[in-house]
Amino acid sequence: MIRIPCPHCGPRNSSEFRYAGEGRPRPDVRNTTPPEWRGYLYERQNAAGWVRENWYHTAGCRRFFAIERDTVSNEVRTVDR
Amino acid sequence: MLTEHGLRWPAAELPREAGRAISAAYRLSPQPGEVLDRSRRFRFRWDGRDYEGFAGDTIVSALLASGVRYFSRSFKYARPRGVLTASFLDPNCTLQVGDEPNVRAAHRRLRAGMDVSPQNAWPSLRYDARVVNSALGRFLTAGFYYKTFMKPQRLWPVYSAVLARFASGGRTQPDATHGYYDKRYAHLDVVVAGSGPAGLAAAVSAARAGARVMLVEEEYEIGGHLRWGGPADLARLAELRAEVAAEPGVEVLADSVVTGRYDDNWLAILERGRPGGGERLIKARAATLVVAAGLVERPFVFAGNDLPGVMLGTAVRRLINLHAVRPGSRAVVLTGNDEGDAAAADLRRVGVDVVRVADARRGEGISRATGRGSLRAVELTDGSRHQVDLLVTSTGWTAPTSLLNMAANRPVWDATAARFRPGSDLPDTVLATGGIVGDGSTEELAAHGEAVGREASARARGDRPAPVPPLGVHPHPALFRGPTHGFVDFSEDVSSKDILAAAAEGYDSSELVKRFTTATMGPSQGKLEVVNTVAVLGEAVGRDMAELGTTVWRPPYAPISLGALAGRIFEPVRRTPMHGWHEAHGAVPLVAGQWIRPDSYGDPHAEARAVRRAVGIIDVTPIGKLDLRGPDVPELLNLVYVNKWSKLAVGSVRYGVMCAEDGVVFDDGVTGRLGEEHYLMSTTSSGAATVEEWLENWLQTEHPDWRVHVTALTTAYASINIAGPQSRTLLSRIAEEPGGGRMALSPEAFPYMRVRGCRIAGVDDSLAWRIGFTGELSYEIHVPASYGLHVWEALLAAGEDLGATPFGVEAQRILRLEKGHLIVGQDTDGLTKAFSAGLAGLVKLDKDDFAGKPELLWESQGPIESPRLVALLPADPMLVPAEGSQIVRGSARIAGRVTSSRLSPELGRSICLAQVEADLAEPGCVVTVVLPDRRRVRATVAPQLASVDPDGSRLRG
Amino acid sequence: MTPRAKPARYSAGNLFRRGLTGSGWPRSWREHDLKSSYDVVVIGAGVHGLACAYYLAANHDITNVAVLDKGYLGGGGSGRNTAILRSNYLTPEGVTFYDRSVKLYENLATELNFNVMFEQRGHLTLAHNDGSLRTMRWRAEVNKLQGVDSEVIGPDEIKRLVPYLDVSSEARYPILGALHHPPGGTIRHDAVNWGYARAVDALGAQIHQHTEVTGVDVEEGRVAGVTTSRGHVAAPVVVNCTAGWSSLVSALAGVALPITTHPLQAAVTEPVKTFLRTVVVSGTLHVYVSQTDRGELVFGASVDPYPSYSMRGSLEFTEELAGHVLELMPGIAKLRLLRQWAGLCDMTPDYSPIMGATPVDGFLLDVGWGTYGFKAGPVAGEAMAEMVATGKTPEIIAAFDLARFADGRLVGEKGAAAVGH
Repeated sequence: MIRIPCPHCGPRNSSEFRYAGEGRPRPDVRNTTPPEWRGYLYERQNAAGWVRENWYHTAGCRRFFAIERDTVSNEVRTVDR
Repeated sequence: MLTEHGLRWPAAELPREAGRAISAAYRLSPQPGEVLDRSRRFRFRWDGRDYEGFAGDTIVSALLASGVRYFSRSFKYARPRGVLTASFLDPNCTLQVGDEPNVRAAHRRLRAGMDVSPQNAWPSLRYDARVVNSALGRFLTAGFYYKTFMKPQRLWPVYSAVLARFASGGRTQPDATHGYYDKRYAHLDVVVAGSGPAGLAAAVSAARAGARVMLVEEEYEIGGHLRWGGPADLARLAELRAEVAAEPGVEVLADSVVTGRYDDNWLAILERGRPGGGERLIKARAATLVVAAGLVERPFVFAGNDLPGVMLGTAVRRLINLHAVRPGSRAVVLTGNDEGDAAAADLRRVGVDVVRVADARRGEGISRATGRGSLRAVELTDGSRHQVDLLVTSTGWTAPTSLLNMAANRPVWDATAARFRPGSDLPDTVLATGGIVGDGSTEELAAHGEAVGREASARARGDRPAPVPPLGVHPHPALFRGPTHGFVDFSEDVSSKDILAAAAEGYDSSELVKRFTTATMGPSQGKLEVVNTVAVLGEAVGRDMAELGTTVWRPPYAPISLGALAGRIFEPVRRTPMHGWHEAHGAVPLVAGQWIRPDSYGDPHAEARAVRRAVGIIDVTPIGKLDLRGPDVPELLNLVYVNKWSKLAVGSVRYGVMCAEDGVVFDDGVTGRLGEEHYLMSTTSSGAATVEEWLENWLQTEHPDWRVHVTALTTAYASINIAGPQSRTLLSRIAEEPGGGRMALSPEAFPYMRVRGCRIAGVDDSLAWRIGFTGELSYEIHVPASYGLHVWEALLAAGEDLGATPFGVEAQRILRLEKGHLIVGQDTDGLTKAFSAGLAGLVKLDKDDFAGKPELLWESQGPIESPRLVALLPADPMLVPAEGSQIVRGSARIAGRVTSSRLSPELGRSICLAQVEADLAEPGCVVTVVLPDRRRVRATVAPQLASVDPDGSRLRG
Repeated sequence: MTPRAKPARYSAGNLFRRGLTGSGWPRSWREHDLKSSYDVVVIGAGVHGLACAYYLAANHDITNVAVLDKGYLGGGGSGRNTAILRSNYLTPEGVTFYDRSVKLYENLATELNFNVMFEQRGHLTLAHNDGSLRTMRWRAEVNKLQGVDSEVIGPDEIKRLVPYLDVSSEARYPILGALHHPPGGTIRHDAVNWGYARAVDALGAQIHQHTEVTGVDVEEGRVAGVTTSRGHVAAPVVVNCTAGWSSLVSALAGVALPITTHPLQAAVTEPVKTFLRTVVVSGTLHVYVSQTDRGELVFGASVDPYPSYSMRGSLEFTEELAGHVLELMPGIAKLRLLRQWAGLCDMTPDYSPIMGATPVDGFLLDVGWGTYGFKAGPVAGEAMAEMVATGKTPEIIAAFDLARFADGRLVGEKGAAAVGH
């Protein structure tokens, strides 16, 4: 069980959180194109190594926040906000 | 006749065991380090006969003392097997105890009244018909089953049923009880796995430095190999035990094992032997884990190495010194190290005639062991032959690096020590000490442990990691196999010849040879077998151990019962405040996610009729309720719903549908404006948590500037829907204005789609909504949850003369289907976008932005090819096509499906909702429905979704 | 081109003859030097890559083929799955596809002369609430229309098939019914990999284990070859048949995929005497169970909740798994878990694979296999081989193209496949 460093509550077991995905910027809906929008919907970096990603503290402060995680070792670190 | 292994056939029938019911022919006089309590005798059963042993005996030591030699038949060849390691890992001593299968009987302490039986014998341990396989051994090489039983393929199940007879292992009972299993959380600075001299010293030094320590020992007493040592070892052990006992910061768990090290040092610790024989799982987040698991003695490979009477050096030392059992009468010892020398000395001390010590360090060795059923003679490589009943081998060690592997550490081959040792890439949170890392005298091991314990404690405090002094190794001859072939894996019946054959066929890496032969895959998890497997493979392919490497050990380190892993089953159940009333009134329960709801109170059709004729009340507490406050709520609603919310007046209610960013419908419900900056949103009961998170996501990540506060109120209010033509009358009898006085409920004062605060049955802070799912005039009331039952009973009392009837979810489903209201997730699916759900009128594409807008815009611009939701009327009005029935064109081309169907009590006929392809969605279109029994029936697309009150006059009245 | 070899025939008679004479069996696959060019390079020597190479040779006579793998053959998902086969999918395209796969599997032992131990012991998907019962009915009806044997059965019939199941209404998640799929069952996954590998070698294609692809060469929008840990190889066609690393390998060719990689964990118990013939799946409880001929219970669950390339496994997986298994079968609480492991699953947004062409000419995909890749090995190999040989996308995989994501044509398997073993 990895621990997620919640910026508001401190490190907690990952079972308290929900993984909320790679944070991808949302295109401007007024002039987006299908390729751009569907890239936003579906494409993922899925990198092996350090990635920036979002988590939601479901069983805690209910805040979304970003952390960095090494997807190979599952080591986790905080990011400057 | 010799078998493929160069051995005699094993005996199908074994001699009747010398062991008599109550006998202790092989019991020694009291030994200095024995763990027996000779004042307590236990009687137990083995294979249908009575035996006796002492408290402190293992099941196997008690039986050995009584002269029993055979404990199992081997997996494939049914060869009789006796004690090999006399420890938890003994592959031949896995027995059934009562209803518990696969008990490690060379570890498990004897208890009075145990009913022990052999598990891998057919039809019995004494006589096993499967020995015929031994004769066929040369044809049944590893993986033979891949090469035959192919034709005809359909007969494979028959062959396989025969092979399944060979399944080793014990028996389970379908009606066995689950039992009680607990779990414990522990918060520790340092966990020490293993309590030999290094582990003991590590625990003590870590505690002295201030750490909270848990010391976990697999066996019943702490002390490791010192326990079966001589007087000096025993004296040192007593000192170390006293130090541990004096240290309040050390919690000692014996007969327990660290079964797993997971990411971030999340440890699984299995506590065995809890009162009643149960197991308990302890979960611990340890700052530092110290692995002091010691060494496992390795068997030697030669012809006859599995005969009862062939044992490891550590096995005889345990049996003599801990359990006062004489393991044989005449012995040969093959030794390559101190352990073997000590075993020979122990044997002589207790009167065993050691006829020869073959010293592998001087190049002496074993050719083969022979005997039919059990050991009779040993042939050494010098050609000498000795009639003995005991052969002891001490030829090397395996470091059980499992816990380190779980920390991503790869073992490396050390040619000097002739064993794999931990690699240098340990994470800072894991340290290792004792035999697993190196060799030394007791004092050297303890000193290393002490240094490691200090460092573990320092790291737990957060100090910068410092290197730990290394522990050297002693040279050890590389001994794996003699000049003959023998068993490499006892529990799998895999021989060295099997490994050579597999390598020759191309299964020539550690992983492939393991998978092909199943060597190391059995219950001892490879701890005994892996090094010999790799060594024989190396012989076959001409590569050295370092190059081949070892396979990775996976968790758990020791087997762990499903009961202990599961613990008590904590599955949350949610009940509404009226749940007890429902139960007392015969409600049929419906499991709806975590909620238990009344499906009906016995007759859903009568309940539905009561709603249409008079008035019914339903407990709708699970409906999700989100309180939204702040000036920017309309912005949020505009963003998450497909329709418009800017102009919703205070006191008004609107229905809304939410789509995900891909345009797929995911929730619906009504939202009302309670005040200037105050709204209450309702969601589906299953979607409540998802919608809350969805709102928070938009607010926190896309629009942190918006001032909106979301509070989940689902369980703060009990919710009741009052539906039917008499609902106004009923509500008027118990509803008051917030300040007192009868609540004005006339259609003008409280029209459809309005919400108001009120007092209901004397309960303040209640809300009344004029909304409904049933198509009737109806009100939904929310009252503070603790008054839910009071209000429910007040409604029934006040409405008795009106025919007020409670109704359940099934009646509600019938009513909503009559009205043509869709259920998200039932009438829609994972690809249904708003337009195909028949919600075109709701989608406002002229809004700047809302979730899923681009997809819906593009959907609206082209021809909509996705299926449409329609109401269907089967030609046979009494026929209800099962939900899920398919709509086809021609013989089998699928063109849609029935998503909801019921017999309508109001219409006296069947009605359905269905998704159909767009060109079949026109009213009047006749479609073909295939029923589950393959009958094909016709049904007509209705003009609109609602079959009852399509213009909504009842609803608005 | 590597010469064809006539492999020693596997049969009871030959087992007997070789046993008598003591002569061993020849190598099942040979080792080769890596050539500087091939007609086709297949990346990944799992069931998909091996099947692709096999059908290239067997159906299209294309044998100048190299199958490359960074590890040993069958060491990825193909050797880590729980070896359950079924074709009771939800969508017509899914059913057609997996039904073809089951049919190929049924004949595989004879075709490859290697006993893959396909045992059609029946497959039960339990329904614990009316919603899942409705989905079972939907699946059964779709299946029957396509000639696949599936039916919804009730608790009594379930109890008859699996006496250990608790079908009482007191259970926290009572068993209301099940989708029974008699042709579903189990297979020996390693045997499938080895059977294909032996046949691939015999037909003249080459398998290169421990040969990692580190680069994919693209020239003017066309694939030109691959760079490997053993040197460069030219090839006009490169097929990505990897799982777990498919987005990383595709990225070498500059092709972005809609994939996230999640560990999928499994576990096995100590053996006990056989008591469970049928494969039992519960979507609500996220668990599936079968018993091997050796007596071990094999368990699986849904993928881990966050993406990762770690295969170390977790404790919470085994805790939840055991809890759910015991809710279904309370009688086996004393059975012990012996080993847990993990494989990597490439999850796509619509729980369907990605097969066929990419924006890079000649660089083909057979990826995105989520938790259902092993079931599809033969049919995927057959279809990819046809595509390589003809240059056209076979109808049976047309719905699974990469372009469907940009075009918004997702496949509707999501509901059924979330834990659909």
